[in-house]
Amino acid sequence: MKNFWYLVAAYATIWTALWVYLLHLSQKNKALRAELRVLQAQLEKVLTK
Amino acid sequence: MPTWWAVMLVVMVFPGIYACRNRVFHALVLGLTMHIALLLVFLYAPTEQMQGMVQKIFYFHVAAALTMFGAFLLVCVASSMYLWKQAEWWDAIACSAAEIGVVFCTLVLITGPLWARPIWGTWWSWDPTLTLTLVLWLIYVAYLLLRLETSAPQRARFAAIVGIIGFVDVPLIRWSVEKWRTLHPKPVLVQAGGTTGLTSAMLLTFLVCLGAFVLLFFYLLRERVSLAQSQHALAVVRQEIDEHCAG
Repeated sequence: MKNFWYLVAAYATIWTALWVYLLHLSQKNKALRAELRVLQAQLEKVLTK
Repeated sequence: MPTWWAVMLVVMVFPGIYACRNRVFHALVLGLTMHIALLLVFLYAPTEQMQGMVQKIFYFHVAAALTMFGAFLLVCVASSMYLWKQAEWWDAIACSAAEIGVVFCTLVLITGPLWARPIWGTWWSWDPTLTLTLVLWLIYVAYLLLRLETSAPQRARFAAIVGIIGFVDVPLIRWSVEKWRTLHPKPVLVQAGGTTGLTSAMLLTFLVCLGAFVLLFFYLLRERVSLAQSQHALAVVRQEIDEHCAG
């Protein structure tokens, strides 16, 4: 079990970093899509006036 | 089967799942492969006699490095296509692959020292392989900084040139691992004559880990390209609204 904590640190870093990045991508994507829907609705309003 | 062909088979087959365009199916296959990879690393692969448990960092460190090289190759190809065709889609692919490549390169640069400390007795050594990998990370961080804030075509073209030139560093890293006598070990995965320095259990574990990382890369690429397309659509709608308001 010598050097076990280096292994734990390496795997914890990999999974934490990947989850944080994936979460960041999906949240940014969700926010952008919501903003796009609002703007498209605004554009339709402007066009129908 | 020669090791090189086994590696190529994994790298070529898994992107096929990306092509099926079903996000849920892709996520399921990715989750399953990741679980199998972890089980193989900790329960199946033998513990290396000289290095002990810490050698198990190898499976994800090398898989992340190979995926990173693939990501930067994609940046190079997509940037060339963007300069040739001037199509936004190629630019979105290049920018997305660069960002994911930097994430994988960061993982390589963190897991490497965590492996080196107990084996070499030092966190970092300025040997050619490590230095060139750090340079590669800096090149593509610079590429991403160029892409910040603006999507002006002139800046996209300049970034594409950086993306292509930056790839020159990748074969240099490979060459430095093979030719320079440094602290970094010589390639064990594929050696001269297409043989491998790994046992069959280690090789199988590594190939599953590589497959999992290739799947992960394409899953992240799918998400990141979708983000780039949403950003582009948003810019188009904003421009239309501004034009109507001005008119």
